[in-house]
Amino acid sequence: MPTAAIPPLHRHPHPHCHRHRHGDSHRTAHLNSSKARPFYLNYTRSPSMIFNVACVPGSRHLKPAKDLPLLASSTTDTAIVEISESSDVVFSETFQLKRPEKVEGKITIRLENGKDDEIWQLTVGCSLPGKWILHWGVNYIDDVGSEWNQPPPDMRPPGSIPIKDYAIETPLEKSLASLEGESIYEVKIDFNTNSSIAAINFVLKDEETGSWYQHRGRDFKVPLIDCLQDDGNIVGAKKGLGLWLGPLRQIFNMLLKPEAANSKEDIVKLSLQKRGLQGFYEEQAIVKETLVDNSVVVSVRHGLETAKNLLYIETDLPGDVIVHWGICKDESKAWEFPSEPYPPETSRFKDKALQTLLERKDSGHGSSGSFILDEGFVAFVFVLKLNENTWLNFHGNDFFIPLSSFSVPAIHSGQTHSVDEGQHKESRSLLISGNTSEANQEVSACTDEIINDIRNLVTDISSEKSRETKSRKAQQSILQEIEKLAAEAYSIFRSFIPNFTETDLSEDEALEPPRDTSDSVLHSPINWVHEALSTPSVKISSGTGSGFEILCQGFNWESHKSGKWYIELREKALKLASLGFTVIWLPPPTDSVSPEGYMPRDLYNLNSRYGNIDELKILVKELHEVGVRVLGDVVLNHRCAQYKNQNGVWNIFGGHLNWDDRAVVADDPHFQGRGNKSSGDNFHAAPNIDHSQEFVRKDIKEWLHWLREEIGYDGWRLDFARGFWGGYVKDYLEASEPHFAVGEYWDSLRYTYDEMDHNQDGHRQRIIDWINATNGTAGAFDVTTKGILHSALGRCEYWRLSDEKGKPPGVVGWWPSRAVTFIENHDTGSTQGHWRFPGGKEIQGYAYILTHPGTPSVFYDHIFSEYQFEIATLISIRNRNKIHCRSTVSCGCFHHRVFYLSS
Amino acid sequence: MEISVIGNSQVNFGKINVGFCSFSKNLNRKIYNSKNYPKTSNFCQGQNMVWHAKSSSGVTLKASNIRAEAALTSEKASKITRTRPIDAVKLYVGLPLDTVSNSATINNARAIAVGLKALKLLGVDGVELPVWWGIAEKQAMGKYDWTCYLALAEMVRKTGLKLHISLCFHASNEPKIRLPKWVSQIGESQPDIYFADRAGQPYKDCLSLSVDDLPVLDGKTPIEVYMGFFESFKSSFSAFMGSTITGISIGLGPDGELRYPSQRQSVKDSSQLGAGEFQCYDKNMLTNLKQHAETLGNPLWGLGGPHDTPGYDQSPNSNGFFADGGSWETPYGDFFLSWYSSQLVSHGDRILSRAAETFKDVSVSVSGKVPLMYSWYRTRSHPSELTAGVYNTVNRDGYEAITEIFSRNSCNIILPGMDLSDDHQPNESRSSPELLLAQIMSSCRKHGVEVSGQNSLVSGGPKVMEQIKKNLLEENAVDLFTYQRMGAYFFSPDNFPSFTQFVRNLKQLNLHSDDLPQKDDETADSLPDMDLHRQVA
Repeated sequence: MPTAAIPPLHRHPHPHCHRHRHGDSHRTAHLNSSKARPFYLNYTRSPSMIFNVACVPGSRHLKPAKDLPLLASSTTDTAIVEISESSDVVFSETFQLKRPEKVEGKITIRLENGKDDEIWQLTVGCSLPGKWILHWGVNYIDDVGSEWNQPPPDMRPPGSIPIKDYAIETPLEKSLASLEGESIYEVKIDFNTNSSIAAINFVLKDEETGSWYQHRGRDFKVPLIDCLQDDGNIVGAKKGLGLWLGPLRQIFNMLLKPEAANSKEDIVKLSLQKRGLQGFYEEQAIVKETLVDNSVVVSVRHGLETAKNLLYIETDLPGDVIVHWGICKDESKAWEFPSEPYPPETSRFKDKALQTLLERKDSGHGSSGSFILDEGFVAFVFVLKLNENTWLNFHGNDFFIPLSSFSVPAIHSGQTHSVDEGQHKESRSLLISGNTSEANQEVSACTDEIINDIRNLVTDISSEKSRETKSRKAQQSILQEIEKLAAEAYSIFRSFIPNFTETDLSEDEALEPPRDTSDSVLHSPINWVHEALSTPSVKISSGTGSGFEILCQGFNWESHKSGKWYIELREKALKLASLGFTVIWLPPPTDSVSPEGYMPRDLYNLNSRYGNIDELKILVKELHEVGVRVLGDVVLNHRCAQYKNQNGVWNIFGGHLNWDDRAVVADDPHFQGRGNKSSGDNFHAAPNIDHSQEFVRKDIKEWLHWLREEIGYDGWRLDFARGFWGGYVKDYLEASEPHFAVGEYWDSLRYTYDEMDHNQDGHRQRIIDWINATNGTAGAFDVTTKGILHSALGRCEYWRLSDEKGKPPGVVGWWPSRAVTFIENHDTGSTQGHWRFPGGKEIQGYAYILTHPGTPSVFYDHIFSEYQFEIATLISIRNRNKIHCRSTVSCGCFHHRVFYLSS
Repeated sequence: MEISVIGNSQVNFGKINVGFCSFSKNLNRKIYNSKNYPKTSNFCQGQNMVWHAKSSSGVTLKASNIRAEAALTSEKASKITRTRPIDAVKLYVGLPLDTVSNSATINNARAIAVGLKALKLLGVDGVELPVWWGIAEKQAMGKYDWTCYLALAEMVRKTGLKLHISLCFHASNEPKIRLPKWVSQIGESQPDIYFADRAGQPYKDCLSLSVDDLPVLDGKTPIEVYMGFFESFKSSFSAFMGSTITGISIGLGPDGELRYPSQRQSVKDSSQLGAGEFQCYDKNMLTNLKQHAETLGNPLWGLGGPHDTPGYDQSPNSNGFFADGGSWETPYGDFFLSWYSSQLVSHGDRILSRAAETFKDVSVSVSGKVPLMYSWYRTRSHPSELTAGVYNTVNRDGYEAITEIFSRNSCNIILPGMDLSDDHQPNESRSSPELLLAQIMSSCRKHGVEVSGQNSLVSGGPKVMEQIKKNLLEENAVDLFTYQRMGAYFFSPDNFPSFTQFVRNLKQLNLHSDDLPQKDDETADSLPDMDLHRQVA
């Protein structure tokens, strides 16, 4: 059976993918599968494809959706109309069918010796047609985690595309050496056995269907070193090398003994071991399921002499097609048998229906059949059977072919019809006449009609009785109508939110006193900065600053490399100030497992790869001297442990804050925390801190306070704020009284079929909700605006720059004073590039955020690039016009601005 | 056979022992059990009572030669054992609090019209409409403006939904709805019409219960003003009463709830730490306390409230009153808490009895809202409940007295917090919404008081819906649930789908096998082996 598991490695760009390398959400999975078991394949596909026995209504009789609930009568109506057009063909309709088709094939994996002993080749092939992509990565010998890494560039076949920082996608090419007439798609990967690659991992993806093909629900893994000598116990059962799903992680942990790590000798030793490498060839069965379009044409003719109806069914479905049918003698729609004779190849199916095998056409393509029916029947009903497991019906209902129109005296039918119509009209007019309320009249007539038509249905839409007797189709159309109404109500109610923001502004926030708006006085940026800092009226400690902040992200993903970033940044302090920045965000300062600092360990140890604590203090002091405030990047969601508990799980902390496992949330089984459940999303690479513990909160507050006092930080950038409840953030901010604070609340925008939705209200609402939870004590990065700018600027879809209310479409449109706008950061850009801003559009992006309300943040890489002059210009424009985070904006002019400034 | 009978406090009733009958007069205890007793028995004292035990549907009581009041009890008794079918839980949705704006216009009329239709299609039974004192009687005392509310009632009627009215005698912060201007003007000069805390800070969002019967509003007492409001409402909406309007809830205090405004923080949930403060410091409360203490012969106890209570933002354990073995467990504590809570209960009784009297001749149910002060519930002293005026501790059931006044006035109780789960409570506040809910519900069951549920938080989502469903499924628990509340979030893609699912689940609980995703249904449709009823249908 199909499963809908999608490998976690391939989501939309995700904020913290870089940390997955260190963490290990697959760890247990790999450990469990140390034994070799028979291979089988999981076929994965996107959930939307599951309902494959769907039918599309005939093209000729498409009726407005509002008529859908009128099942029987509407079809009859149609038929009557037909008569006037043709006296011979009473009914003819083409039904579109979607038929699931399974194709079996195989995946081949071949490992063989290449040109010489050192160069080997892995060949992955697939015998089925499709746009096959190999999604793959490698493990290195000294890897700690079992996460993938990108292979070295010389190993990547041409046409490979790097996916994030850990995988490669390489398309399979149609092989020249096609086997027995069937085409083979394959990809060859050459590698040197002397390299330190321990294994190649891959999954196969079909771009046409979006399906993933895995090996037993996990990655295919081809180990390249023989591990028997190292760990006989674990893989003892295995003989030689094959394709296996191994607990390589464990083995490599063993290899990674401190004294052996990364030394030359080690690699030599391993390459010696590799002489044991043996070629192999494996085949895996694969089943691909696709939907094939077919149709069935049903026509009814009335034989004038015989007074019988001739019903003809024709279809292009391949293979044997059985029509499972009956007739209706009255309006009850009950299936009944007609009198004999039946068409050839007909059998009774229990007491309920007849089954007739359609005759194959001579051309061998499709089949057809005729049914001669006495007059007097109301309808011919059927479903199609392709094989024991595949049945085709019409939207979950039977195919319903009306016959009554001609056989039943037309007058009678007309009467019934007109009576129906009359009732409808009457009830409609009732509703309208009673419709005095202004608001009611505005609601679409369609809704009124539906309410009328289905009044009985809806009283208990899903009670047992109604489910039995009413058609599912009618229910579906009610649900659609409900959704439509809800959407309309939503769009109107939602428009009230900006009002809330405005009252919030006027009542709760201390705005700067109005300044002279004339442009005649030009402050130089640096002077202005000092002025802002020295303005006594500015309320400090709200966490949202003065409103005139311009942020600079003062590092990128490589900044740790030199080991003296703090020193290097000191030289740039004056430059940053003169460009007009008032706040700088420094990298996470603590001792950390990862060099970039986002896997903190001992919070009070501020010696990091960016420099030591003294260098940090000097940097902060010098930044203050030039009028730039400093934000510390604090990682509060998770913390790496220093010791193992009795089960060998790393969840005991060290250093000054030597918490035990009560400080770890309970709902991540990897870390066996004894705290409460997490109040937010879990970050799986490290123990997540349980902020509901009072001692944890007390310690964190003390720590933040210490950072304020000892280092002189003016505020915070809060990492992975999705991970815990915003109410705790409020607590921390109230305790540490930052001048400015901004949280990273990053999740995916809303897309429909890979196309970003225009309306991202859901997305920005989630960010607003977080800010609300903090009681407005912190701002948040406006991820919504970044996402919208991607599409708006990258694809010139400028209409996206206004929401339905004519406000900016991001967080900045709803709560400007809490929105920190940005176009790039160390995760999205830099050398990680998880979600890179469209190339060449950066200045347009800055033109947008620097001329809009909200607090803009500029990325280090952009400041020290060829864009510096433009950015400086934009900042001075912002300052000259005294644009601040609460400035009002109307969308008419901002289109203009974008074009103007980018020209 | 087990029969339980509920009497009310004005009724003399029989206590039945095996083969032996006696009457005892008891004003407080109302539960009598008779086990394995024959269906018919004779009471002594020349009065005959005939018992008819009707299968599981309850107990009918026929009394001859007994005071008429006794017959009343039979009605209440019959409620006790009735097993309510689950699909009888009626589902209402609250309309936005600011449906009618301060300037007496209908906000978002179109959205509401559309929303009503959506609810009707979904199978929701009705809507709840807050009617504000500060809007309907805004201009001057006795000058009512029902125009907008009447228009809304008409809209609801047209859609074919039912309507529950909430009469709100309090003010709201979000959205901003104030008390009538003429009331707040009086409050300017006489701040003692408001509750006050120890610091003397007045709570200006509703009147203090201590002025209920004092002529502070231009010569009229607040109770008289409320009565006028009831009467005017009743006559203005007479066309809807009993047909469209099925129920009316009466505002009893802050946020309409029967409690003191013990929590003053604007954001109640994010600062769970404190248990609130006693609100007995307005002039009339203090006078009242003094008199009460003197009556009991302990004048020194009446000089003020307890001195050792923690502040709003302090942990209840940080000071002596609520700690284990603290003042609350002393005779003084009992004196103060009894007085404090009895004031609240009497206030509730005063208003409910007037309301029940006013609306007795129209067939609508009258209800009032009881607070769910669930933080610190797991401590012995239940400090949050105590400051709110419910004398409920580990030693004492404070909800008995409250449910009793509802029972006495034949009113229903509205209980918020049906969506709250213990799992999501911050650990340190030792709160338990679920346990408290269970306690109140059991008290209501005992007194035959019908319960209507509400959710407390706006945030929906599948988990919350699960919790609500769980609460509604409890046997005999709730006969009506009002989902709070319509608005942008309600219809947002984040919430509405789960609400839809919730409604459908609620309405088809017995059809579990049929409640599967459509995929399975379609397979079933086309497999003749299984069942052809769909084809036949």
